[in-house]
Amino acid sequence: MKPHVFAAVGLKKEFDDGRVQALRGVDFSIAQGEFVAITGPSGCGKTTLLQMLGALDFPSSGTLHYRGNSIPDLPEPAAYRAREIGIIFQAFNLLPTFTALENVQIPMFETDMRAAERKERAGLLLKSVGLAERRDHFPAKLSGGERQRVAIARSLANSPSVLLADEPTGNLDSENAHLILDLIIRLQREQNMTLVLVTHDSGIAQRASRVVHMKDGRIVSDLAT
Amino acid sequence: MTFFTIVVRGLLRRPVRTGLTLVGISIGIAAVVALVGISRGFEQSWAAGMKARGTDIVVSNMGSALAPKPFDASVRDRIASLPRVAATCAIFVDLTSIEDSSMMVVSAREWGGFSWKSLKLISGRMPHDAKEPAVVLGQTAAEVLKKKIGDPIQIEAKELFVVGIVNGGALVENGSVILSLPLFQEITGNEGKINIIDLRADPGMSEDDLKNLCAQINTLVPEARAMIAGEHVGNSQAYRFISAMSWGTSLLAVIVGVLGVMNTMLMTVFERKQEISILLAIGWKRARVIRMVLWESALLGLLGGIGGVMIGAVGVKVLETLPAIHGLLEPDLSTGLMLVSIVIAVAVGVISGIYPAWRSSRLTPSLAMQG
Repeated sequence: MKPHVFAAVGLKKEFDDGRVQALRGVDFSIAQGEFVAITGPSGCGKTTLLQMLGALDFPSSGTLHYRGNSIPDLPEPAAYRAREIGIIFQAFNLLPTFTALENVQIPMFETDMRAAERKERAGLLLKSVGLAERRDHFPAKLSGGERQRVAIARSLANSPSVLLADEPTGNLDSENAHLILDLIIRLQREQNMTLVLVTHDSGIAQRASRVVHMKDGRIVSDLAT
Repeated sequence: MTFFTIVVRGLLRRPVRTGLTLVGISIGIAAVVALVGISRGFEQSWAAGMKARGTDIVVSNMGSALAPKPFDASVRDRIASLPRVAATCAIFVDLTSIEDSSMMVVSAREWGGFSWKSLKLISGRMPHDAKEPAVVLGQTAAEVLKKKIGDPIQIEAKELFVVGIVNGGALVENGSVILSLPLFQEITGNEGKINIIDLRADPGMSEDDLKNLCAQINTLVPEARAMIAGEHVGNSQAYRFISAMSWGTSLLAVIVGVLGVMNTMLMTVFERKQEISILLAIGWKRARVIRMVLWESALLGLLGGIGGVMIGAVGVKVLETLPAIHGLLEPDLSTGLMLVSIVIAVAVGVISGIYPAWRSSRLTPSLAMQG
């Protein structure tokens, strides 16, 4: 049995002094190397759950562990995000005043890499996502698919062991959506990363090894595909 | 790409706003350079004038006016009798308008006193005697008044003649109208009055010896105050007032600069909420975000400081050429003042950036997923 990367028990998240309950007691675990799709209607809590996994936000109650360490009690959540987690956003979230090559280097500032090493690694990562020729372009000059590929390269900057993807194909046409999904899955397999992908597209979810379906802040089904 | 590249890109994101903020800081720092430089220069040029005249100690009564208050000429005789006093020269200095020039230094000196001897004649001659209705002009004063040898010059109601043009070795001397003390006393109705005594001490006296001599004079002559040459201007109430005004105005300019930079940096942080939350989401520590904002702010200060020093220096040079004050200004545009001004500008930048940096560090990384 593979060791758990994430383990959650009774995970709850409330906003506005409890008036909004985004998570209402979630129990689950994710193993090393798994590709888990989290699906569900808008507002069901799937993005909130992803934020908890990435230490972007913290639960109101319950426990959440990463490799046995309590995520809410991490001494340096930023260091956890920098070293262990790669995040791919729906809206790409590239910084507009930096080229593709520079965007990929930004997370590397939290490592000991020197400037030349950062540049070299960013170049290799862009090559691995098929954007070697577009490395010096600013995001505004890239297509949606290209931007998401830059964002994927950026998420891999510090060789994370977990990829968190929030609707990564949500802003793309169907052709680019397939290409991006293929790319993410290929990289996940090549690097044996754990992939947690939030989507409301059942076609995309079917590519995962496991589909967790949520509704009203609870997991209503958790099935292997 | 280095961290500095990120800082610079942050400023270049809104070039017009950054540019306008830089102009604001530059003007503030230019005010510091110009006002402080002028007031310090004023003090230094008087000190240089004293040195050029070979004066070790100045006895005067620097009250609230720029020119010292008059006192009885007999004070000179009491001081001259003290041991270790080599020579004295009674002087009456006034700042007054002469013909078209609104403010000129008029230096009336005891006939035959050592203060005449430091003047190097460039053209013409010295007055024949203490009663001759004649003046010599420092070379800058001659330029300002547009006078040459033989020209008449009106002082109060009396018409005198320019008989010589001299180089006095210092700005104050070169900007002066110099004449004999009895003549000036008669013209101005100040018979028997002087307002400065230049004192030359015995050779080889240390600064401590000079201070001791000052103390002796101050005991002997309560109506005036003896100080080591150069220090007397800095101790005058008028100079202190000018200096305080300079620093006060500069402080206001700096406060305006602080508010300008703070406003710019706050706007930057508010506009870049999403961007900053992305940086936090992809692993940047809050300390790094704070550092980024502070460096942007400090860089604004540094560039504004450099710009301000340049504007201030050029502005003062332009001021010097204005007819109304030509020859009266010798601003202290020393490297020290420039460096201090730039340090002030950087401090302005850093101080202004503290609150925006703190605000930026309060942003939550989860905001990145809400875009």
